[in-house]
Amino acid sequence: MFQIRWLWENMKGTRRNYIIALMLSVACNGLYITAPYFQSRIIDEFISNKNAAENLKAHRDVFLWLIAGMIGFTLLRTIMQYACNMYYEVASQGMIYKVRTHLFRKIENQDMAFYDRYRTGDLMTRLTGDLDMVRHMVSWVIKGCVESVALFTASMIYFFTIDWRTALCILSVTPFIFVITRMLSRRAGPAYRKVREASSQLNTAAQENISGNRVVKAFAREDYEIKKFRERDEEYRSRNINAAFVWLRYQPMIEIAAGGLTVVLLMCGGYFMIKSHLTMGQYVAISGLLWAVSNPMRNMGNYVNDFHRFMASAGKIIEIYYEAPKIVDRADAADTKDKLKGEIEFRNVSYSIGGKKILDDISFHITPGEQVVIMGATGSGKTSLINLIPRFCDCDSGEVLVDGINVRMHKLRKLRKNVSIATQDVLLYSDTIDSNIAFGDSELEEKYVKRCAEISAASEFIDKLPQGYDTIVGERGVGLSGGQKQRISLARALAVRPAVLILDDTTSAVDMETENTIREGLENRLDFPCTKIMIAQRISTSRNADKIIILENGRIADIGTHEELISREGYYKQIYELQSGMNAESEVMG
Amino acid sequence: MARNKYDVDEQLETPFDFAHLKRSFVYVKRYRGKMVLSLFLSILAAVLALFGPLVTQRALDVTIPKRDIAGLAGLAAVLFLCNLTATVLGNINARIMTKVGQNIIFDIREDLFAHLQKLPFSYYDDRPHGKILIRVINYVDSVSNMLSNGIISFIMEILNMVFILVFMLIVDVRLTLVAMSGLPVFMLVMFAIKKRQRRAWQEVSNKSSNMNAYLQENIVGARITQVFTREEENAGIYDRLNGKYRKAWMKAVKYSNLVWPATDNISTGIRAAMFIVGLLVLDPATVSLGTLAAMTGYASRFWQPIMNLSNIMNNFINNIAYLERIFETLDEPVTISDKEGASELGEIEGRVSFKNVTFGYEEGINVLENVSFDVEPGQSIALVGPTGAGKSTIVSLISRFYDITDGSITIDGHEISDVTLNSLRTQMGIMLQDSFIFSGTIMDNIRYGRLDATDEEIIEAAKTVCADSFISMMDDGYETEVNERGSKLSGGEKQLISFARTLLSDPKILVLDEATSSIDAKTEALLQRGINELLKGRTSFIIAHRLSTIRSCDRIMYIDEKGILESGSHDELMEKRGAYYELYTSQAV
Repeated sequence: MFQIRWLWENMKGTRRNYIIALMLSVACNGLYITAPYFQSRIIDEFISNKNAAENLKAHRDVFLWLIAGMIGFTLLRTIMQYACNMYYEVASQGMIYKVRTHLFRKIENQDMAFYDRYRTGDLMTRLTGDLDMVRHMVSWVIKGCVESVALFTASMIYFFTIDWRTALCILSVTPFIFVITRMLSRRAGPAYRKVREASSQLNTAAQENISGNRVVKAFAREDYEIKKFRERDEEYRSRNINAAFVWLRYQPMIEIAAGGLTVVLLMCGGYFMIKSHLTMGQYVAISGLLWAVSNPMRNMGNYVNDFHRFMASAGKIIEIYYEAPKIVDRADAADTKDKLKGEIEFRNVSYSIGGKKILDDISFHITPGEQVVIMGATGSGKTSLINLIPRFCDCDSGEVLVDGINVRMHKLRKLRKNVSIATQDVLLYSDTIDSNIAFGDSELEEKYVKRCAEISAASEFIDKLPQGYDTIVGERGVGLSGGQKQRISLARALAVRPAVLILDDTTSAVDMETENTIREGLENRLDFPCTKIMIAQRISTSRNADKIIILENGRIADIGTHEELISREGYYKQIYELQSGMNAESEVMG
Repeated sequence: MARNKYDVDEQLETPFDFAHLKRSFVYVKRYRGKMVLSLFLSILAAVLALFGPLVTQRALDVTIPKRDIAGLAGLAAVLFLCNLTATVLGNINARIMTKVGQNIIFDIREDLFAHLQKLPFSYYDDRPHGKILIRVINYVDSVSNMLSNGIISFIMEILNMVFILVFMLIVDVRLTLVAMSGLPVFMLVMFAIKKRQRRAWQEVSNKSSNMNAYLQENIVGARITQVFTREEENAGIYDRLNGKYRKAWMKAVKYSNLVWPATDNISTGIRAAMFIVGLLVLDPATVSLGTLAAMTGYASRFWQPIMNLSNIMNNFINNIAYLERIFETLDEPVTISDKEGASELGEIEGRVSFKNVTFGYEEGINVLENVSFDVEPGQSIALVGPTGAGKSTIVSLISRFYDITDGSITIDGHEISDVTLNSLRTQMGIMLQDSFIFSGTIMDNIRYGRLDATDEEIIEAAKTVCADSFISMMDDGYETEVNERGSKLSGGEKQLISFARTLLSDPKILVLDEATSSIDAKTEALLQRGINELLKGRTSFIIAHRLSTIRSCDRIMYIDEKGILESGSHDELMEKRGAYYELYTSQAV
């Protein structure tokens, strides 16, 4: 039942609306019961009465008043009903709005581990389908329950005032309803959790198919994708049918019990009439309002069913709702200057993921403004190493210091504002090139955007586009070549004028000439002081570096300048020979 | 259409008319039999329901005054049986319709998904992916009830209405006319509400689409957001989108919620009118009071179906906003498809030839102009040149990812637009710049290249591309679960997996588009042996910036200025001292 408490907690701010809505609900249902009064009086006095004609002549005004009452009453009731519905909408939308914004912030602030656990499609399910179920609960199920209980109680009290014996007979049916809904309750929960799971699977299949559409086409795997999707869709369908059938197994029992009320009334009421405990008028009165007892009973099953759907969905939402990132500001975080100098030091840093050692006893020091290149084999820990600097992960032992302060003692926001990464996996937003470059600072002047694009050697191709900087690029920057995307990503990283600029293999898809332009730009054209750390594969990048760090299996194998490193045996020299080998060879041939 | 982004509403190409609803009958029709059966059961249950009042009436009129307890029990038993039968019928009906409803959305979703597979890259490039996703999942779910139970209830209510109308006409024509006089008013009110309501719900679907598109991009790009500490700002944008959605929703329900009260009031007004007309206006001699009593009873029952119908219509209108989006996607033109009578391309040797090929992604802006070249089977061709010159474009034209504007591309003499896409693409192996990883095991990801490959073959392929070593080092080895944007794989590792995938597919024509850009130099050197192995007996196109990888190619084509600037072997081009020479020497360490 934690879900309910969670719901209530999130209604803060809109609880007043919700309570008004609930009260209006009860009131409207009260009016529903009393509504037939006017019509039945008209019929009683002016139509079925023996003296109908005389009555009409004598009490024409009463007749007209009754007509006016009938219309006015309906008007009042429907206005109230409308207001009531709108209050429900205001309350439920307010609550959903709040939960949604909270979830969005949660998702945004998670660590990398979170993203290993949750697939995009799954997260999408939680924020769409699941959230809609919560809305349904607030604006429909709870409303229905409250109305049902109110209606049921009011009518039962009325019945008791008419004749306690008959009322008792009617009431005797209710325990059955309870037993049946309890049985349903036990089965419905698991069934809906399964539906929920299948829906997330289906969502994931579709999401990945859409994101990976290029791969699908490249391998002509359309048929396979359709088959895969169909399997999940079939699973989804069959679980939906299954869940519905769980309900349909109990529905007849509920229906018979609720519909059985008419039988009970006929039998018991009839018997009491024969025994003269009940008059004809009383019988008709009860019979006329019997729906107010049987409908709530009937609906109970539906509500129980929906309740379990809600529980399954809310459980999934709550899971992320309370998910806390491990990497957060410490209470005693240092109050650093807004602009850091860009000094970086690693002291005996070790880091592992899932028990596997990624980095082992790493120590080095970078003074502000230095240009450092990190090299190493695929999987040697290069990306992990740079992730430690803006605290995308925390090391297991040792210390990472920026400006002499342990990164854990920095305010996360300040630290990250000072460290900018052009990531390996380039991801652009479906927005204009201009907004993509100004991503880190949307206030950025257009002039500066262009300048960043120039340094990244991107301005040339952007200018050639018909809409220039206003060209909308698709998600993942589709429509641009790999090298073009990388250059926009680099411009984006430059635009925030970071104290530490990290390039994670950002020029791998760029041709040599352009790369030279970029390197030259980074060395000479930046108008802010900046420590540069580059992960690179090419000697051309590293030869002018102040320091080259060679990683091998998570350890620093060597560290030094280009000259130093080629003077001794090792990874760097091998790479150097590999990459310059072709030159030597061609000279021989030439 | 210009590219769409998260804060731009999608324009609807076709205005709504009931054609959408009619069109959805294609899906409904398949279950015609069951729908008719369900309708039959519903009618049966409705008739049974008429028995209840009859039984009660008999009890009150005859049995109870006679103090016949046994008779009373008998009548109760009859009533119970009626209820029981109606319940059973209803339950069977619900079971049938549950399946029908689920089947209908299954069919729609399958068609939608299959259609999406046929759509060209440009479809995916032109809009946020989240917008496509919610159509396939959420929108389809929303229309299920409308297309199954909605239709049945609709018919039932109409039948109900007609049924009662007939009764009323038999009893008194004049009062029936009074009862029906509410209809024009009803229509007028409905029409006024409906127009606004429909627009409002379209707005809701647009706003929800925008909101979810932005959400999806932020899930995928969460890391970028963190790198640039844009959390607050993005959350602000999302709040705005969320707020717009809420506003649209509130506006829509403002209209939707009007329908029921309006109908209710009209219905009450009509009953009042009948009392007034019946008692005060008409000549008392011609209206018996019994008739009037009966008529007011019927009037309530006549308006009940109308009220229900308006509710059903209400639902239809809300959901049609989703339905039209679904149909719009289904109507999205398939620009690249098999020609009528396209033949299967048999096993090819790999002779590729371009004749005066001209192509541009957007009209009027050519990326390539008059490109011609011939490649013999087994040859390896390197494409070099500045980024954005059109190297990737050339290779994607071979697989017919885009149709050329002018000229011809043939493989083994077959025009590629004359053969089936499937037979063409399955013989091509393309390793893209972007290595996409599906969620699943590493094994499954490699197997994507050839679905019937054995585990041994997969491991073999991984070994060839030097991926085996890092995969075996992972805790679960090949069974390690990875996902699309997880941190378990580095960029280089993703490329190696993608490489193994391509290798496994055993293509006749191989395309490596910056296949090794994120792979470190040393692994690349090792990989080179694997690549050489791979190139044997296949025609291959290699795009690479590190020229060391392409020196040994049979021919190098330097692409720039919308065409082939230089073409020849490494030595020839070096001798020529042109663009390639410059590029090459600039790379010298």
